[in-house]
Amino acid sequence: MGRRVNVIGVGMVPFQKPGKSEEYHVMAAAAAKTALKDAGVDYNEIEQAYAGYVYGDSTCGQRAIYEVGLTGIPVFNVNNNCSTGSSALMLAKQAVEGGLVECALVVGFEQMERGALASKYTDRTNPLEQHVNVMGDQQGFSSAPFAAQMFGGAGREYRFKYGMAKETFAQVSVKARQHAAKNPYALFRNTLTVEEVMESPEVFDPLTRYQCCPPTCGAAAAVLASDDFVKKHGISNPVYIAAQAMRTDFNTSFEESMIKMVGYDMAAEAAKAVYEEAGLGPDDVDVVELHDCFTANEVLTYEALGLCGEGEAEKFILDGQNTYGGKFVTNPSGGLLSKGHPLGATGLAQCTELVWHLRGQAEDRQVEGAKVALQHNLGLGGAAVVTMYRKD
Amino acid sequence: MSNELRYDGKVAIVTGAGNGLGRSHALLLASRGAKVVVNDLGGSATGEGKSSAAADKVVAEIKEMGGEAVANYDSVEDGDKIVQTAMDTWGQIDILINNAGILRDISFAKLSNSDWDLVYRVHVAGTFAVTHAAWPHMREAQYGRIVMTSSAAGLYGNFGQANYSMAKLGVVGFGKTLAIEGAKRNIHVNNIAPIAGSRMTETILPQNLLDALKPEYVSPLVAYLCHESCQENGGTFEVGGGFYGKLRWERTEGKMFRVGRDIRIEDIASSWGQITDFSEVTHPGNVTESMAPIMANVNAGESKGGNEFIDVDEALGYEFPQATSTYDERDLSIYALGVGAAEDATDQSELRYVYEMHGDGFQPLPTYGVVPAINLVLDMGKRGETAPGMNYGLDRILHGEQYTEIVQPLPRSAKLRHKAKITDIFDKGKNALVITETKSYDEDDNLLIINRATTVVRGAGGWGGERGPTEEQNTPPDRAPDAVVEQQISPNQALLYRLSGDWNPLHADPGMATAFGFEKPILHGLCTYGYAGRHVINKFAPEGDPRYFKSISVRFADPVFPGETLVTKMWKEDGKVIFECDVKEREKTVISRAAIEFYDEIPKPAPKKVEAEAAPAEASNDPIAADVFTAIGQFIGEKPEMLHSIGKVYQFKLKNPESVWTLDLKAGAVAPGETVKPECTLELTDANFMDMCSGKADPMKLYMDGALKISGDLMASQKLDFLKQIDPDTVYAAAKARGGSGGGAPAAGGGASSAVEDVFIAIDAHVRANPDLAKSVGKVYQFALTEPDSLWTLDLKEGHVAAGETAKPECTLQLTTENFMAMTSGESDPMKLYMDGALKISGDLMASQKLDFLQKIDPEEAKNAVAEARAAGKSLGDSSTGGEAPKASIAAQFFENFENRITENSALAGEVAAVVHFNVTEPDSQWTLNFKDASEIKMGLDGNADVSLTISEDNLAAWSRGERDAANLHQTGDLRVDGDIGVVHRLGIMKDLI
Repeated sequence: MGRRVNVIGVGMVPFQKPGKSEEYHVMAAAAAKTALKDAGVDYNEIEQAYAGYVYGDSTCGQRAIYEVGLTGIPVFNVNNNCSTGSSALMLAKQAVEGGLVECALVVGFEQMERGALASKYTDRTNPLEQHVNVMGDQQGFSSAPFAAQMFGGAGREYRFKYGMAKETFAQVSVKARQHAAKNPYALFRNTLTVEEVMESPEVFDPLTRYQCCPPTCGAAAAVLASDDFVKKHGISNPVYIAAQAMRTDFNTSFEESMIKMVGYDMAAEAAKAVYEEAGLGPDDVDVVELHDCFTANEVLTYEALGLCGEGEAEKFILDGQNTYGGKFVTNPSGGLLSKGHPLGATGLAQCTELVWHLRGQAEDRQVEGAKVALQHNLGLGGAAVVTMYRKD
Repeated sequence: MSNELRYDGKVAIVTGAGNGLGRSHALLLASRGAKVVVNDLGGSATGEGKSSAAADKVVAEIKEMGGEAVANYDSVEDGDKIVQTAMDTWGQIDILINNAGILRDISFAKLSNSDWDLVYRVHVAGTFAVTHAAWPHMREAQYGRIVMTSSAAGLYGNFGQANYSMAKLGVVGFGKTLAIEGAKRNIHVNNIAPIAGSRMTETILPQNLLDALKPEYVSPLVAYLCHESCQENGGTFEVGGGFYGKLRWERTEGKMFRVGRDIRIEDIASSWGQITDFSEVTHPGNVTESMAPIMANVNAGESKGGNEFIDVDEALGYEFPQATSTYDERDLSIYALGVGAAEDATDQSELRYVYEMHGDGFQPLPTYGVVPAINLVLDMGKRGETAPGMNYGLDRILHGEQYTEIVQPLPRSAKLRHKAKITDIFDKGKNALVITETKSYDEDDNLLIINRATTVVRGAGGWGGERGPTEEQNTPPDRAPDAVVEQQISPNQALLYRLSGDWNPLHADPGMATAFGFEKPILHGLCTYGYAGRHVINKFAPEGDPRYFKSISVRFADPVFPGETLVTKMWKEDGKVIFECDVKEREKTVISRAAIEFYDEIPKPAPKKVEAEAAPAEASNDPIAADVFTAIGQFIGEKPEMLHSIGKVYQFKLKNPESVWTLDLKAGAVAPGETVKPECTLELTDANFMDMCSGKADPMKLYMDGALKISGDLMASQKLDFLKQIDPDTVYAAAKARGGSGGGAPAAGGGASSAVEDVFIAIDAHVRANPDLAKSVGKVYQFALTEPDSLWTLDLKEGHVAAGETAKPECTLQLTTENFMAMTSGESDPMKLYMDGALKISGDLMASQKLDFLQKIDPEEAKNAVAEARAAGKSLGDSSTGGEAPKASIAAQFFENFENRITENSALAGEVAAVVHFNVTEPDSQWTLNFKDASEIKMGLDGNADVSLTISEDNLAAWSRGERDAANLHQTGDLRVDGDIGVVHRLGIMKDLI
């Protein structure tokens, strides 16, 4: 095992709708500067930087980080679809953990276009080809946005298997909005009722529009450092990464299940590895930020992370175990559904939210006494990153 | 307004600001915070007099509204003084609007030296003087915005304004260079060509137009060009009366003569159309772009020469547009007869060239390989098309030499695609030789035939070009021939041969022959070619099998007259047969330097590139125009309200490949061909159409670039924006559906193929119902239908029917879909179709006789089979036709049977224990199953349901039959479940209800 890695600074900008935000480099620089300020560290101390984004030409990372400083340090651009932010975080963590650097900066950002995700390059094999083929075999193609078809299809499969009511999926959105109402960084801060969610236009049965995350622009950042660095700079009792794991697709992704195709096993295996590494189980977790790109995926992820048993998600939701007063608080930030989902920024925004909770800085939405936090960030194509944070 | 564009802290000079445009510019800038030097000499519109009144008045106006301004009364020729006023007052200069001007309009004949000089001094020298004085300050400040005032008179010329036009175009060039020089220092220079009612125009424009042309309409554009946020630089804008537009240069693609050749006046004259043709254009924006074609020409290297007949630079390497052609046994037989085959109708070795049912198998005569290529050239000639740089008439050309290579033995019928290219052009001094190579490919892209035709262009040589190879080939050895064949050519042979496609009247019309200096019509050289080839094959082909034939190469030495006797002399020499043909009567050599090569082994047919069964998805899932139209049809079907809002009939004429489509937004129909008279016609390439619909290409841009031509109701074309809204997924789905339809029937032919499918479904049912049939026949048949194409396998070994080729056929029947339908309905007799050539049978001919039963299928039985198959979801294609009547009863039948079952066994209802609503679609019907507090099934939706199921009749039947399960139906969206989905798991009692 390597050295302990501490998250000494975090920061993000309020998320915006496409077209309403600053440009990517402005947002990213603002988030990075906030994280550095939060850490109380000068940019000159940063030895390496990792920049995550999905849409943009090469070296956007440099362009963004140059706004913060020009010290000639290595800058890496990271792209891993929707789990880009966590992937960048993981690389920085490894650099510190392995003793290569004492302090590293991670920034994730995204300047998205309006409308559903679509392929940018049509003259070559689509990286999601195998996933799309599974979908084609299982349910054919409809005119809905492809991500909604994939996750919606997984929702159909789950529903058929375990008999979950459509209203229970909608309940996840209702919870997300309740949480987001208290988060000034979130995009959608008005609350919704189950009826309102159900009555919004159907995107792909069982998903309605309010059960899909919106295209979002935003940025978030974190500063990671070793114990030596922490000691040298007099930082007391920081949040640290107790365990982290990434898993990519297994054979099972391409068999006959939409649930597996959208990354259930990746998440389950990554979580298993994290629990083993940390020596803790789901029952020890207080607060969770998980990848609720669609309500269906939040439901699946409860089970993949072991927050509830297989097929028990409906009861888990209806009993309120996923919110304040329940067993866990999932997505206190409002999640991707309400806070927004700027692909490259999401993983770091999740990290930021959890660090705030562990430090007791989450204001109105603070999960009281949070000691152990779990993060799940998923990218189709695919990569699932699960991270556990702790504070002593 | 928070986003108001402001000029606070900026200093502007506006020359000629006492009146009109200048005054308007000054007032607008000052109102937005700029400090303005209001320059005006106070002269008249023609440049006479001087006064401070005009400038003072504008300054007063500005001050009155709370702005800052200072007056300057100097002439623009003293530009430094004007700039000094700005520097003295505010210490900076940010904006310069060169607006001052005068007019001295007079026809050129009457124009005096002073009219010319004065206009030049004010507009050109004045603009120069002020700008030159302001420039160092702007350079130092690294900031400047300059506007030059040009005019339409300068850009286009105008009667009586020779002096003014000169000056106004002068400032455009001046401004464009300053834009380049200033760019690095953030100094932006733009030109405007305004039109406004002012003192200068009030004499020439009518009052109502003057009223519309307020200077206030020009100033906002000028002010924007002067704003800090405006990045425009070097632009020219036409502005006035509320119109704002940008001007650019447009240049024709033009004509290119390679460097190093003598370009004569006549070359320019003959290329004038090309030089002035604006259908292909570029828009050079700077000197580099202006030079681009010249540089490209220089880089292309030295000219290969040419003359008025042949331009080698243009012609050499030219690739003709790809073309396709087809042939079948009939074409092959006519050709064989045309080259004298089977004169003895009992000679088995030649009968096989003309008799498609020959016991040893029909064989194409290999020299037929030249025909598709030569017909391509002849067709082009007929249409008057030629390669670029070939400027001679047919009267000059002779077919000099011909080489034909058969890469794969010719199939009995084929669809060929031809790629032709001019590979060599030689200058033989007096004459020129043009060598055209044509490669012909089959449908699987396998190369079948290579042809090289050498055309002699008489009198077209002499440009000093390459002479080409001089070594003579295929010289007969100095010994007696190894074989000789004599054959008299029938007197009407040319009339027979021309049926293969060479329409040249020289071979048929005695008058035409006389005109060309022949006593009577001559035989086609390629007819002699076929005779000779056949003679050699008969003597030397291994095992007498024409499939060993590899290539033939000949020189045409002299014409042959029909009726003469052809003597073919053959020598077998190192792996080939050298031959010569003489005319016995005239002792003339007509074919010389000739040889035929044979293969050692018959080439194996190349593998089919795409196996229909193996990879249907890859083969067909690329959307084509038909898929887009299918998707459009779907789209408008879902949005009937569109028909009200648009209500027009459109026609799309697509090119490369060609297709015509009617989009009828009155009736809400999309169909191939012209089904309704269009109100608006759009012409564009297939590729551009696809790009337009996918949003990759902007229709407006295509239109502007000339890539989209619109005729008829232009305004209607604006309503086609919705095309971009069509979800690409529906296009993809249409492509997939097309690819998955087994028979490969084009999406456009859905109606027809569906009817065919019904027939095959009926046959399938009949075959399955009569297992003895399969036993007694025991053969596998393939039906290759055309118009539209589809492929079906009737497997009477296994006893079933399927789309596509599911088993290797022993007997293949090829006929049109229409004839097939007529045949199976008994309207036409297979024997008659066969005799008429409308039905082609290959493989086991005897087996075809056992298909009588097709006509014996009871129509009633067929109808039921189709209805049943459709209900069971067996349909492979569009099911929009047929089967409606029996279908309507499926749901009723289903629920009736359901009720019976429940009545017989009431415990079954207890297992469901729920109220279930069925929303059955296609056709619609609603049903309520109350298995909670009752045990009843009734029509209509009643009470509170625990679960509501939405499903089509076909899918309901498939579910009940166990052909599809609920999980799959639900996953694909074919079964929608609202409410308690758990109930679905308890509906096993629905099994086998229909």
